[in-house]
Amino acid sequence: MKSEQFIMIGLVVAILIGIVAVFVASGNPDGLESTALVVQDQKALLGDTPDDAEIHEEEEGRFAYESPFPDYTMGEDGGKMGELAVIVLGTIIALILAFAIGKVAMAKKS
Amino acid sequence: MHIPDAFMPIWQGGIYWIIALIFIFLALKWARNELTEDKIPMVAVLSAGIFAIQAFNLPVGFGTSGHLVGGALVAILLGSPYAAVFVLTLVLIIQGVIFGDGGLTTMGANILNMGVIGGFIGYYSYWGLHQATKKVYLSAAIAAWLACFISALACAVMMWLAGTFPLVPGLVAMGTYHALIGIVEGAITAGAIYLLLQARPEFSDAVTGVNAA
Repeated sequence: MKSEQFIMIGLVVAILIGIVAVFVASGNPDGLESTALVVQDQKALLGDTPDDAEIHEEEEGRFAYESPFPDYTMGEDGGKMGELAVIVLGTIIALILAFAIGKVAMAKKS
Repeated sequence: MHIPDAFMPIWQGGIYWIIALIFIFLALKWARNELTEDKIPMVAVLSAGIFAIQAFNLPVGFGTSGHLVGGALVAILLGSPYAAVFVLTLVLIIQGVIFGDGGLTTMGANILNMGVIGGFIGYYSYWGLHQATKKVYLSAAIAAWLACFISALACAVMMWLAGTFPLVPGLVAMGTYHALIGIVEGAITAGAIYLLLQARPEFSDAVTGVNAA
């Protein structure tokens, strides 16, 4: 497969994965979040995650940052379309950035 | 296992950042010396694919979900743990800065866990297993599982040092959940290597060790 063709197919597949993820990805906490709930006595190790479980976060002496698209959303009003747009945007940025940095690094070969 | 800013004191994040920067420097050196016109498309597609698939949380039971991290995948396909550091650093920067997935002060820690530990464990356990069994996909799946599991234990130790988790319960819970998430990591890593080698058979030399140093 030619490089251009491989990149285009790869990008399309990646975007499709992202689109499917918006609709079917599990909303359960990930391993780190689940562990936080366990050690904060909100969840049993081998039990389900209660609907009202919430991770207590330390704020004192911790850095806080508001990202442009928190949690891969366009905020409350963005809805599913917003989520689709940001996942496609992120996927394209990842591809272009990797390609560009790779090219620049390669060009510096002496 | 993206550590958010709130889970770690800033100064500890700074220490992990300094260590991560050494590996990022080495990864850029790898890119300068090893990247070729043939490899750049693979690096780009892996970065895009890993970004997308990290948004795809699969349920693993016990009210928990997980997704592919991808360090083992990148390291095995591109034949270097530094390739994993390169790709995972990029993906983590995009996730942290644009989407708030993983903190900024904790990004160094996340790069160390997922890129460095994931990449090195994935790469070297793959080669050990491959030498012993000669089986590419089985070795890749087990190596990816190990990469996920060991990264999670390292993350638990960081969380203990940060005062966020107690040591033993943190290790037990992180280990339990990522032993399950590692099955996702192993299956997708083996499947992705198969598909990517179908599209780009020239990478099979790196995977089977024909030209490996």
